Amino acid sequence: MNPASSTRGTVKERADIALNDDFLRNAVRFTTDRLRSGKKVASTEHGNWEEWRERGRQIRLHTIAHLDYYLNLFVENARSNGVHVHFADNAVEATDIVMTIARQKEAQSVIKSKSMVSEEVHINQALELSGIEAIESDLGEYIIQLAGEGPSHIVIPAIHKNRYQIAELLSEDAGETLEPDTTILAGYVRRKLRQKFLEADIGMTGCNFAIAETGSMVLFENEGNARMVTTVPKTQITLMGMERIVPSWADLEVMATLLPRSATGQRLTMYMSGITGPKRTVDADGPEEMHIIIVDNGRSQQLGDPEFQELLNCIRCGACLNVCPVYRQIGGHSYGGTYSGPIGAVLTPALNKNVAEWDDIASASSLCGACYEACPVKIPLHDMLVSLRRRKVERGHGDKLEALGMRGFATLMANSKRFALAMRLGKIAQKPFVHNSGIHLKLGPLKGWNTYRVAPTLANHSFRDQWKELSAETAAQPKTIDPAVRQRMEQVLADRQHNKSTSRTGGESHE
Amino acid sequence: MSNTNQPFSAKPPVVPNPESSHLTPDHEQHDSSQADWLDELEQKSKAKQQTFMNHIADRLQRPRIQEAPKHPFRGAPEIWQDFNWNEAEKIEKFTKHFTEVGGNVLRMQTLEEAGAFIAEQSRLLNAQYIVRQQLPETEALTLEARLPHVQISAWNSHTEEAWKARAAEADIGIVLADGAAAYTGTVMVTSSASQGRSVSLLPTVCIVLLPIERLQTRLGELLIPWDSKGRENLPAGIHFISGPSRSSDIENELTIGVHGPGIVYTLLIG
Ligand code: SF4
Repeated sequence: MNPASSTRGTVKERADIALNDDFLRNAVRFTTDRLRSGKKVASTEHGNWEEWRERGRQIRLHTIAHLDYYLNLFVENARSNGVHVHFADNAVEATDIVMTIARQKEAQSVIKSKSMVSEEVHINQALELSGIEAIESDLGEYIIQLAGEGPSHIVIPAIHKNRYQIAELLSEDAGETLEPDTTILAGYVRRKLRQKFLEADIGMTGCNFAIAETGSMVLFENEGNARMVTTVPKTQITLMGMERIVPSWADLEVMATLLPRSATGQRLTMYMSGITGPKRTVDADGPEEMHIIIVDNGRSQQLGDPEFQELLNCIRCGACLNVCPVYRQIGGHSYGGTYSGPIGAVLTPALNKNVAEWDDIASASSLCGACYEACPVKIPLHDMLVSLRRRKVERGHGDKLEALGMRGFATLMANSKRFALAMRLGKIAQKPFVHNSGIHLKLGPLKGWNTYRVAPTLANHSFRDQWKELSAETAAQPKTIDPAVRQRMEQVLADRQHNKSTSRTGGESHE
Repeated sequence: MSNTNQPFSAKPPVVPNPESSHLTPDHEQHDSSQADWLDELEQKSKAKQQTFMNHIADRLQRPRIQEAPKHPFRGAPEIWQDFNWNEAEKIEKFTKHFTEVGGNVLRMQTLEEAGAFIAEQSRLLNAQYIVRQQLPETEALTLEARLPHVQISAWNSHTEEAWKARAAEADIGIVLADGAAAYTGTVMVTSSASQGRSVSLLPTVCIVLLPIERLQTRLGELLIPWDSKGRENLPAGIHFISGPSRSSDIENELTIGVHGPGIVYTLLIG
């Protein structure tokens, strides 16, 4: 802040902004109408895809093979930029550091954008236990947070709610009746969260990539909330997996080419932000204080393991989830970890250093190899799954899970109550948190990698146990899915299929 | 990228503050009550850093690497690095790509023309507040004269203002692009005292002025120069914007303007 900040009060005190709501409403119509009438946006055909994949793989391999050098370089540069860098060996240490900062700031609220690592270390739970409000700022995430439910779809967390139900929820939140119109509802959330952004003491983000040579961190997103989190609150905390490094901005071009195309079929996400240190003294926005917490939490265990080191090359695009037939059948929550899908099936046991407890998941994979084909950095997930099974057999853990039916997910997701039930069956290790209007259950990782969700620890319970109980529950329910929900799901899948095929089959031409 | 993408136009002196360099990170200005616990964390961190890095080297079963390793695969594939469109192609592709995701692109000959267009849009949309970067280019739009009834502020033009709140209430924000890439349909804006990151983020409408000579073909042409600029010369925020803020979280229906601007115009100038 400039020196005058003390005399004019904080933004929080001056947050009485005069929003011109009609203007917003019209603006939204302006763009959506134009988009609807225009032809459906086709995904980019990007030429030489195999060559890009190979390049992406080489850059990741090189970085991980020299991780001590590049991570150290990043740390030194980030410090020179004025960032406070911290190291956490595990979830407890990461949480401790966050809580230390939050206490020092006497924080009352933390506003968050997507971060897988924050889910991995259960930061929301820790904050709320200390009476600090943790607000998720993605639109869908905010809706289900209000409902006290878990996400029901990997792409659209609130797809089990139609616009009338969402209108009801948000009306309650607003204390006035809101019409069930997407524009009005999103407009309300915008206004509400804007206030929250201006009031929040701390903004918390993840980190897609960290550039070693300049100490910069890079975020990819579509809504703009990650930009808000890194622009508005006075203090920024970034949780970063220790393997998120790329050497240079030149290397970022390769990641920026691979990640959005693989994740959502976009040429680039609407926003990509490179943040290099806290705000400069003369700047009038940006965080005054910036912390980056570098988290190991089991990652270093993969280093030096010839079969699994490449796990650290993952850029969290979620492409392997989208193509996995098993994942599409059972959904993410049944994987029981923060990370789901084929990558989760390998990474979860790896991070938990306890293959025996988790390898049920590996058995659930059909080993069709689609995940490898889809992976933009060519991680041999199917080989790793085979290795996992082999290690399991070597330890004498036989398993019949493959024979288990994988139906039930579709039924489950049509009814949010059944979700809550399913999650209770997961015997969530932490007690549910009673918070304001009700119980906050941050449920399983039904969203993909690229859209980050909280998952409480389900580790006390094996996948098999969960699945058995789940199957019993759902067997008692009629096996029909709400047609509207099904239609929306199918639309999502169709869109993604379309995007995938057009974005991955690009020939030699550039367009 | 030679002179086509000079990221910084000459800026007016904004906050007269001779002591603080343009690039002093803000952490140096904390009061001493804060300093203690931060120092403590800093000491802890530095102590832990060595163990952390040594552990990585141990796991990799070799001694610590202290010298920069050879990095033969740096950056995009070679064949990509020579790929360039001519100016007409760049304009066509940029327009196509930015428009396909819901953005708007218009070609203008001069800033004068751009000013007239923005004034007309402001009247059409009934804008009440406009915030612009404090730059010669946005001043040359002469919006203050064209729109006497609209409250127009130049970012950080005086210190006694809650600038984030001003940007948050603004209907229109006006920024100057430091560069753009046609292949992805992306504009790049950077932060400085006179160029708040809020200006391209918080208002409902964002209008980006893009001098045509700053339009490149590849995203790499915007990224790679930061490698050679030197760490200490990087702005705190480098933002790549490819269209309006979007979400499909309600009934899989595309909604725009969820957090960031819902209408984005790029005005290609020149
Ligand atoms: S393992 Fe999966 S999430 Fe990771 S980069 Fe490969 S496809 Fe993407």
